[in-house]
Amino acid sequence: MATISSNKPVQKRWTLSKRFNWNYFLLDNVTGSRALLIWVSFLALLTIGVTIGQLIAAPVRTSIILAVWAILVLGVVVGELFTAHNVVTRWLKENMLNNVSNTLVTLLLAVLIGLVGSGLWNWGIANATFSPELTHPDVRTRDGASWGVLWGARKLLLTGLLGPEHTWRVLLTTGMVLLLWASSFISSRPSLKETLAPLARVTNILWIISPFAAYIFLAGLEYDPEGPFIRMGALLGGTAVLIALMGIFWLFRVIKLTPVSIAMWVLIWPIAYIIWRLIAQTGIFTPINVDDWGGLLLTVIFAIFVNILSLPIGILLALGRRAEVTGIPSWIIWPIAVVSFAYFFLNSTPELWETSRNNIERVFSLWPFLILIVAYYFHKSFQGNFVKAFSILFIEIIRGVPLITLLFMAIVMAPFFLPEGSTGIKSFWAVIVGYTIFSSAYMAELVRGGLQAIPNGQYEASDALGLNTLQKYRFIVLPQALRILIPPLAGSVIATFKSSSLVALVGMIDLVGITRGIIANENWLGLRTELYVFMFLLYFFVSSIVSAYSRRLEERAGLGVR
Amino acid sequence: MTMMKEAPTVTAVSDAIVCRDVHKWYGDFEALKGVDLTVKTGEAIVIIGPSGSGKSTFIRCMNRLEEHQEGRIIIDGIELTHDLRNITEIRREVGMVFQQFNLFPHLTVLENITLAPINVRKWTRDRAEELAMKWLTRVGIPEQADKYPGQLSGGQQQRVAIARCLTMQPKILLFDEPTSALDPEMIKEVLDVMRDLAHEGYTIVAVTHEMGFAREVADRIIFMDGGQIVEVNTPEEFYNNPKHERTKLFLSQILNH
Repeated sequence: MATISSNKPVQKRWTLSKRFNWNYFLLDNVTGSRALLIWVSFLALLTIGVTIGQLIAAPVRTSIILAVWAILVLGVVVGELFTAHNVVTRWLKENMLNNVSNTLVTLLLAVLIGLVGSGLWNWGIANATFSPELTHPDVRTRDGASWGVLWGARKLLLTGLLGPEHTWRVLLTTGMVLLLWASSFISSRPSLKETLAPLARVTNILWIISPFAAYIFLAGLEYDPEGPFIRMGALLGGTAVLIALMGIFWLFRVIKLTPVSIAMWVLIWPIAYIIWRLIAQTGIFTPINVDDWGGLLLTVIFAIFVNILSLPIGILLALGRRAEVTGIPSWIIWPIAVVSFAYFFLNSTPELWETSRNNIERVFSLWPFLILIVAYYFHKSFQGNFVKAFSILFIEIIRGVPLITLLFMAIVMAPFFLPEGSTGIKSFWAVIVGYTIFSSAYMAELVRGGLQAIPNGQYEASDALGLNTLQKYRFIVLPQALRILIPPLAGSVIATFKSSSLVALVGMIDLVGITRGIIANENWLGLRTELYVFMFLLYFFVSSIVSAYSRRLEERAGLGVR
Repeated sequence: MTMMKEAPTVTAVSDAIVCRDVHKWYGDFEALKGVDLTVKTGEAIVIIGPSGSGKSTFIRCMNRLEEHQEGRIIIDGIELTHDLRNITEIRREVGMVFQQFNLFPHLTVLENITLAPINVRKWTRDRAEELAMKWLTRVGIPEQADKYPGQLSGGQQQRVAIARCLTMQPKILLFDEPTSALDPEMIKEVLDVMRDLAHEGYTIVAVTHEMGFAREVADRIIFMDGGQIVEVNTPEEFYNNPKHERTKLFLSQILNH
């Protein structure tokens, strides 16, 4: 820029700056190149057109905007010409009015914001009503919002069709989470970290228990007063499963066995089971059908469930895609392929051949040969690395399918896979499964990107030190990869939260689903703008919280690194 | 070590490293064309040679960072095969220092050093930290223990890498061009540490271009070219009276530049 003015007061104030040169100014701002000239002319015409249009439509407002803009431009020009910038004009010059195009854009945006803002103001506040009584179509004001619908339909928006007698349980869960969050927040302040260390420890334990507590609060527990208090099958079965897990972890050297840890593994299920039965016996938390959850509650539950489940699955898939397991012989694909080829060739092909109407359809009836071709390529390209093959197929197939298809499949097709006579799977769980599968495929590719960003030297150094694969990933690779992944993971969390609104299309009554119901209600008929604005603000609010939190996490994780 | 399950190894106990006819291909390119080398316990070997001569590949084969396709490598009485237990066992006894340091950037210096002793050797944290501080003091930077690698100079980072490697109490040390990524004034501080280690009786195999270091410390100098060992000699003979024409050419190029 030729119009740079020095910080030091070289010239006397109020004498024309010798540094300012009209030729340079024109060259930089208007005539520098043909493209610049065209752009500035276009912008000038557009701005003048819009401003004149607005002057005619709303003379007062636009004149004020224009006057304020002109005064500011004048201030900057004076400051520039006489080297007499003050704090305000310097800021304006650096941020809003640095050259001719930006000065024009500033005016254009100010006029447009004035237009939209005043419209919103008139509709949303000046002409709006706020009472739930004024939302019926007969008593509404024509040209303003009827915000009363938000208060009138608050129960529907927040919890959907869940019975009002259960509202306190939702509030209890919300309160619990907010309390734990506040506790974590306070005890992680740098100034209080030392003194509140015990609180932090208690909070962490409570966080681990909180999902179970939330489930008890929101879904309730079954209890049959006629039956026994403790069912031996459940008690011993659960304990056996945990002991088996302990054995597996010990074999793979994930945990060490000490008397204390053994006692913990053995006793945790009986204790949890007895507490479970005790709570169930009180009858406070009667069972709620999970398909009754709705509104914001359902949206939030979906987002939390799917995000928490899909991250570990995604990590496993990403590791699987990079795996170099070659234990299983690759010829094993051939017997499977040949048997299934024979089966379909004998059962499907003759029928298709008979019914085919032309040669093309006759060729299609030979589809079982595809199995052999696929098996051949499978054999060639994966050479027995079944972990890698499975991961790639899973990821690529799921990523090639739209989410809505998966959701429909989960709802419509899940009953076909269940054994006959079972009462059927709850839509909620079907959708959770379908959505988690979708989300984890995307998560896997994110995580794989993070893994590839780790330099080879890190792997080599871990190998050279004798760390085994599990330790290498746990201590060296994943901590670094996940740190790189904080921004994209936050993006994925937000995307999952927002696209959960698609479940409304398969009949789930989440925030979007219930909103459609509210609009159709005769008391609130047609109040779609109010509700969609509310939904917009709500989604925006939650997404910004996630973004802000991820930025904070990034700052903290970046401490002391390179 | 008593991990030997099969008898037919020809190594005496005093041989730390035995390589017999080691071949290594990258696709069609043969990087090692039948390398033979025996390193006695306590011996310091320096491998020199032009770039692309296979010297880095060779020492990276010694702890299975690269896999050799033919021939035998026997480290401390254990043969390197596909058996994962052997590989783990060998990596525990063989420490390696890299050209690019390869410290873990997300861990402090002390955590970098104690990670492997705690998780591989299964030591207590106290024991690992005690030994780590001992080695940090030996390499002259105990005051940096709580910093992150990114806050240290290159020379300091390489000394941390050496301390990390030594806290595992290896018997054999591999140095893969440890000073090549350092500024000239930092090379000396790293070479001083390496010189002390050689005098203390560690078995050392070092790939380096530091001729002064090689001359002073090495028991034998190995000259490699084109994936083969061209000449093995004592430092005196190697510099003053090289036998092979290729060696003479190489020495004249690097000593008279």
